[in-house]
Amino acid sequence: MVNYKTTEYIDWCPSCGDFGIVSSETMALSDLGIDRSKAVVVSGIGCSSKIPHYINVSGVHTMHGRAITFASGIKLANPDLKVLVNSGDGDLLGIGVGHFVSAGRRNLDITILLHNNGVYGLTKGQASPTLHRGLQTKSLPEANINDSLDPLALALTAGYTFVARAYAYDAMFTKEIIKKAIMHKGTALVDILQPCPTYNNINTKEWYEKRIYKLDDDYEVKTPEEASEKMSKALIKSFEWGDKIPIGIFYENNFIPEYGQRIAEHVPTYFSDYPAKQVIDQNGKSITDISRLLEKISI
Amino acid sequence: MKLTWMIGGEQGSGVDTASGLFGKAVSGAGYYLFGNREYYSTIKNRHSYFELSISDKKINSISEFYDIVTTFDAETIFQHFQQAKGYFIYSETNVKKGIDSVLSLEPETKKEILGFMNKSNIEPTVQGVIDYLKAKGIVVIPVNYEQILREISAELSINMTLAEKSLNTIAASVSFALLGLDKQYLLDAISNTFSKKPDAIPMNVLAAEKALLLVKPVFNLKPIKKQDIVQIDGNTAAAIGKIAGGIGFQSYYPITPASDESVYLEANQTVDTVVDGVKSSRPVVVVQTEDEISAIGMAIGAGLAGVRSATATSGPGFALMAEALSWAGQTESPVVVTYYVRGSPSTGLPTRSGQSDLKFAVNVGHGEFPKIVLASGDHAEVFHDAILAFNLAEAYQTPVIHIIEKSIANTYSTLDKADLDYSNDKIDRGALVHLDPSKDYNRYSLENGPVSPRSPLGSSVSWHSGDEHSESGHIAENPTNRTIMYEKRMKKLDKAANEIPEDKKLNIFGDSSAENAVITFGSPKGALKDILEDLLSQDKIKLQVIQVRFFSPFPTDELAKALQNKKRVIDVENNYTAQLGSFVSEYLHITPTHFILKWNGRQMNTDELKDAIKRAVLNDEKKIVLNSGM
Repeated sequence: MVNYKTTEYIDWCPSCGDFGIVSSETMALSDLGIDRSKAVVVSGIGCSSKIPHYINVSGVHTMHGRAITFASGIKLANPDLKVLVNSGDGDLLGIGVGHFVSAGRRNLDITILLHNNGVYGLTKGQASPTLHRGLQTKSLPEANINDSLDPLALALTAGYTFVARAYAYDAMFTKEIIKKAIMHKGTALVDILQPCPTYNNINTKEWYEKRIYKLDDDYEVKTPEEASEKMSKALIKSFEWGDKIPIGIFYENNFIPEYGQRIAEHVPTYFSDYPAKQVIDQNGKSITDISRLLEKISI
Repeated sequence: MKLTWMIGGEQGSGVDTASGLFGKAVSGAGYYLFGNREYYSTIKNRHSYFELSISDKKINSISEFYDIVTTFDAETIFQHFQQAKGYFIYSETNVKKGIDSVLSLEPETKKEILGFMNKSNIEPTVQGVIDYLKAKGIVVIPVNYEQILREISAELSINMTLAEKSLNTIAASVSFALLGLDKQYLLDAISNTFSKKPDAIPMNVLAAEKALLLVKPVFNLKPIKKQDIVQIDGNTAAAIGKIAGGIGFQSYYPITPASDESVYLEANQTVDTVVDGVKSSRPVVVVQTEDEISAIGMAIGAGLAGVRSATATSGPGFALMAEALSWAGQTESPVVVTYYVRGSPSTGLPTRSGQSDLKFAVNVGHGEFPKIVLASGDHAEVFHDAILAFNLAEAYQTPVIHIIEKSIANTYSTLDKADLDYSNDKIDRGALVHLDPSKDYNRYSLENGPVSPRSPLGSSVSWHSGDEHSESGHIAENPTNRTIMYEKRMKKLDKAANEIPEDKKLNIFGDSSAENAVITFGSPKGALKDILEDLLSQDKIKLQVIQVRFFSPFPTDELAKALQNKKRVIDVENNYTAQLGSFVSEYLHITPTHFILKWNGRQMNTDELKDAIKRAVLNDEKKIVLNSGM
């Protein structure tokens, strides 16, 4: 039996939502039987971004906001890898929002797990891009004056082909969503709501558990023609926030070509001979032959 | 033998086509070329020009004065007439035009030109310029472009708009006629230039035939036995070098003058391979990203997966890559950044050149980490350095910054194919291993010195963190661990300093017995190479040139040895603060005795550099600032 958790000491606050996410994620990897050496967890900076150290597959702990860029390079070099991004709401929707949006335009086969708790925990609780206007969490000197970003609506309009929301304390449900996100061929977002017991004294466990409810299974685009209708429905659902908060899969569209497939249209041998698979030398001598290129510039 | 030529015109009006055609015709007769393109940061409507040096031997630089000046429009006449020294081709219909009618002329440029005109009693019109040139003994050649175009239109029964497309061919052909070469070289160049538009060939051949009748040959060039030569610019040399060196992944965000390299790679994503005589191919992935941060992040990611990966950018983009380069240094991740240096700071002179980013490249990224920085001095060096950069990145598992100036990127030279032979450029993948995936693996193992075996993602499980980490790659803040891991990383730079061959660190040429040493880096190499002979024969000045190629690790011992017993150390650089000179002061504790500096965005030419060296050596002028070029 493969253990998908490392023995590294976990330094998150007691009852942090991240514990639920690391359990769901490792259970998902285990259920899917993913080879440890064929999976990579890529993260940014923040409490949640320490997660690669706790998961027993390869881990790349990168820079604030930039996890998607590193993950994209890894996946493009080796499309046989399962690449997951774990980062916080400040990381993916604040400093890294440009990459978050651009990922939708590519639809590369990576899974993005958004740890969404409304605050910048590691820097002592400043408002994150998902904290609603007017809220004053514990360490804010004044109420938040910025409007919040809706990660689901943003992902839907940016072109993500799998958009879901989970709740960190419901680990079994979150696990199932993560599994579906991993198996989806394209860019997948799972927005995982999580309380921050230390700094977010508003969106607490009690607050969420009174409000969340599970969506039905009618999320998948069945024909290309119904894509816009399904997306409109998902968008409307994504705006539902208040007394009731939906979790589950909002949208899945398998008709949009994945980025690797788009590359393969230009370079047909991409999947059979992707860069990480290539041998580029024989006993230290380059095997690449540039004579055709030199011919074009010869006089 | 050397002949210099230029052509100018409004950007987008066909200057590139005309210079390409002329260059092909001349190199077709076996001559070596060095060409430079100068242009504004605009698509159309501004003055651009192309200057070409022609020689029977390899040539590496431009000159301030031209044997032949070719123009279509009035602005080129006003901007460049002071650089004419032989023949001046112009449009007859422009003669009445005054300088005030040229609206695109910058006020500062106009003021300078008017100042000169006033001083030399030149009426500020094209006619005034032509009279001045005639009086100076320059042969002026009026061409009635419009009449020729009308004839072409009539003879081929085509409309004038179509006929006007042969304007460039007329201009190039008049110049060509002066050379005295067989017209077949020109006709071959036309077929070659328009090979993708064969319908355009008859019109251009007719234009050439008509233009050739306008002037008599004056230079009497004879064809040279055709060598196996290629014509290559810096962007292409870098791209082909990367391909030869085994690139698998390149990411980029569009920026001048770097993008041409990536676009070349995009156009050639399937590259040929040969193993034991069996031909095949392999794909290269090229990605245009949302910004430069993404470009460097993706390149590092691909490198972690075991691929030779790179990005190419210029100053503003490089600035955005700083944080990621620090990450790559901390995590010992190989990546190559091809840094096309243009006129900075800020947007600066985005289509012009300079060397003011050297220290930025060396100091980029927060913190201390090993970083390898090298700069190429010509097109052949660019090609081989592109391969070397990958080797160094993998051998020392750290970022490598390869500096190429705009004045190398956007110039071209003709080279012998042998100059691009890479059979001796080894592919060194360093400690890249593929370990048993079931075994635990310490990415930062201290067992075998500062370079740890590196097993790519996908081959075995490993952790990589920008936080300080232990051998396992997991976060560790223990002070002793910090001391050890920090030193492990820095020791790689000592290792690189010991292992990089001396002839790669410095390129020394000229007279070893000379008491005058020139230190320089990058593009001035070309002009220095081309003036050595003249300085010796005309001015009895013996010179040894030391072109520094590495800046991190800095070749302290090698340079100290090279500068032993030199009476003068003349520092030649395209920046204000003499950045190479200050490295020399810092590492060698000696200060250059003389400085020749230029920061106006234009590369150094042979005329001004020769003059400056004379002033330094003969008049002992300590600091000479150059400002030529338009």
